[in-house]
Amino acid sequence: MKQEIMLGDKQEIPEVVKNSNAIEAFAKRQQTIMDKLKILTDAAKYDVSCSSSGVERKGNGRDMGNCSAAGICHSFSADGRCISLLKILFSNECAYDCKYCINRRSNDVPRATFTPDEVCELTMNFYRRNYIEGLFLSSGIVNNPNYTMELIYQAIYKLRNVYRFRGYIHVKGIPGTDPLLIQKIGFLADRMSVNLELPTADGLKKLAPNKHRKNILAPMRQIQQGIQQSKNEVILYKNAPEFVPGGQSTQMIIGATPESDYQLMMVTQSLYENFALKRVYYSAYVGINEDKELPAVTGGTPLLREHRLYQADWLLRFYHFRAEELLSEKKPNFNILLDPKCDWALQHLEQFPVEINRADYQTLLRVPGIGVKSAQRICGARRTARLTFEDLKKLGVVLKRALYFITCSGKMMYNTKLEEDYITRNLLSVHERLPFDRDGVTYKQLSLFDDGQENVRLFEHVAGARLKIPSGSV
Amino acid sequence: MEEYVFICEDSLEGIFSGVYEAYEFKKEEGIESHDILHLAVKEPDMYRLFTQYIRLETNEEKAKKVIRTIKRELGEHTYYDLCLAAICVDEEKADAIYHTIVTGLKYHDKNVFARLHDKAVHKAFTCRRNAANELHYCKEFLRFEELENGILYAKIGPKNHVLPFLVPHFADRLPADNFVIYDETRGEFALHPRYKQWYLVTNHEFDERELVYSEEEQVYRELFTEFCQTIAIEERINLKLQRQMCALRYRPYMVEFQ
Repeated sequence: MKQEIMLGDKQEIPEVVKNSNAIEAFAKRQQTIMDKLKILTDAAKYDVSCSSSGVERKGNGRDMGNCSAAGICHSFSADGRCISLLKILFSNECAYDCKYCINRRSNDVPRATFTPDEVCELTMNFYRRNYIEGLFLSSGIVNNPNYTMELIYQAIYKLRNVYRFRGYIHVKGIPGTDPLLIQKIGFLADRMSVNLELPTADGLKKLAPNKHRKNILAPMRQIQQGIQQSKNEVILYKNAPEFVPGGQSTQMIIGATPESDYQLMMVTQSLYENFALKRVYYSAYVGINEDKELPAVTGGTPLLREHRLYQADWLLRFYHFRAEELLSEKKPNFNILLDPKCDWALQHLEQFPVEINRADYQTLLRVPGIGVKSAQRICGARRTARLTFEDLKKLGVVLKRALYFITCSGKMMYNTKLEEDYITRNLLSVHERLPFDRDGVTYKQLSLFDDGQENVRLFEHVAGARLKIPSGSV
Repeated sequence: MEEYVFICEDSLEGIFSGVYEAYEFKKEEGIESHDILHLAVKEPDMYRLFTQYIRLETNEEKAKKVIRTIKRELGEHTYYDLCLAAICVDEEKADAIYHTIVTGLKYHDKNVFARLHDKAVHKAFTCRRNAANELHYCKEFLRFEELENGILYAKIGPKNHVLPFLVPHFADRLPADNFVIYDETRGEFALHPRYKQWYLVTNHEFDERELVYSEEEQVYRELFTEFCQTIAIEERINLKLQRQMCALRYRPYMVEFQ
């Protein structure tokens, strides 16, 4: 804030401010690499993507590093998210003032900036010890987008050409950067992502006043075209340099603006179709800042909503569903109680039951309880045998969900009715496995039976010493 | 009807040469079906009636012949899957591998692992999956530590014998490093000298307390631990999910959980 005042009026700087600035500058010089890592990790943690997938690159027998197409996670943090890449910001200084962001100009948080060598040393040493699969480099806006991207370019240029690192590099594209710079970075990085931030242009205008939809879509389009062009060149010339071989991704915040799930899915679908994205990430809005433009966080982080969106996202990418099939203007939000696929199946009972031994792959994929793997296994196994329900269990089909929708050799598993109410009731009685607590808020949310301390007191006399409450669950 | 159980050594060569002997035995004795022949990797806890137990020596020549046939008739991919099944801890693996080979050869099916309705194939499939999963976890959770002389050292404690499959991954990744991976469960070492071929060492006296770490090592351990703690979003803390993704049994070997 002080700095802003200084820039605002051109009067002479009072002595006190001068001194405090000097102290700040001194403190900055004294920042250890540990301080910097802490500050710049903390600032980067809200970036969702941490995948290291999409690129298969063997070692060259001389330099350090290779890439595995499936991606490798190296650890899991306390929130259950994977740690695959060294996810840091180059700098958390920022000229922008996006309402939702921890690093916005108007926030008083400790600031730090890495040097390219520090980033390289950290990456190389972490990678060598098998801590990480590569580097994820993003940054706050230092001065302006071009200046910032130039800094990032220097760091990864050094990492690739001086340190000769062959592992995975994910670089965030900053909207408004010169296309030439994006082009240069694209040939060094494995994946690039430009954040959509908010699903609609209106939301963006309201919460991220310095960003514009047009500026976000332009680099996205450029990267898409670059990837396509590079693919064509690689076909012609085997050793042509690869441009963003791991594809591009994006992320948007959900729950900070009033969009419906339907709008979100339509945006997602158009990103996959028109921009050929590899992944769209959703991040449940976490109230970090207080601002009159932002929603008050009352119900906690909307994790269940995020979970449903990811489930639907999978349906789009691997199950040949379309967003319009799952939701509509009339039914704009996902069912809280049922996953999107079950919900869809219950609305389309006329397409069931499906005969396991005859139905084609795409039809199998639409059956609740049958996933990509089990559908593939069914297709493989039924070439040589007629499958029974017993076999399906072995193939990994979740029968307690699938049994209402399938027949084996013309027979249902039990004498079940093909009625919406009946199946819904039965499906709901089967506990859905969610990656967090049932209430859909957070695992930390307390209820009577979650409260370990309380439980111990309540059930002491019943369970005695046998009742062990994991200390981490509260 | 009398059954026969061949007991072979618990190794890739052991199992494959066992397969050879079983085929040979069937031919010599004029037995009609493979169903009464079984392969095991250790003496059974309980001997059954009407069953003959035959102990086999590992014969590399015979194993090689079987491997050649598998590669030719069932394809490289099936061979790799069978090898993974063979490193699994499950003791029923040998019989499953044997009968999977029998099924594959009978139907000339290069895609024999798709016949999951078959009991033996399904068993071999689960063994393969078990081993392959752990192999992947080891690639994820293995942690190298730098010793005083610049050598990287890692300790793992896998249930399955994944070490020979694990080393190529790291040899490809770190060609310029001298590294050692120590399998605590089996007392086996894998050594990779820089820019050279890696090899396995067994039966070697070793005391971990004698290791001297480099000065930098402690710094990077602390940096990474700090990184792992800072990257978690407090509002989303979910230890159950963390435990699901990273099982507790791997954590004693990981610096960030010390």
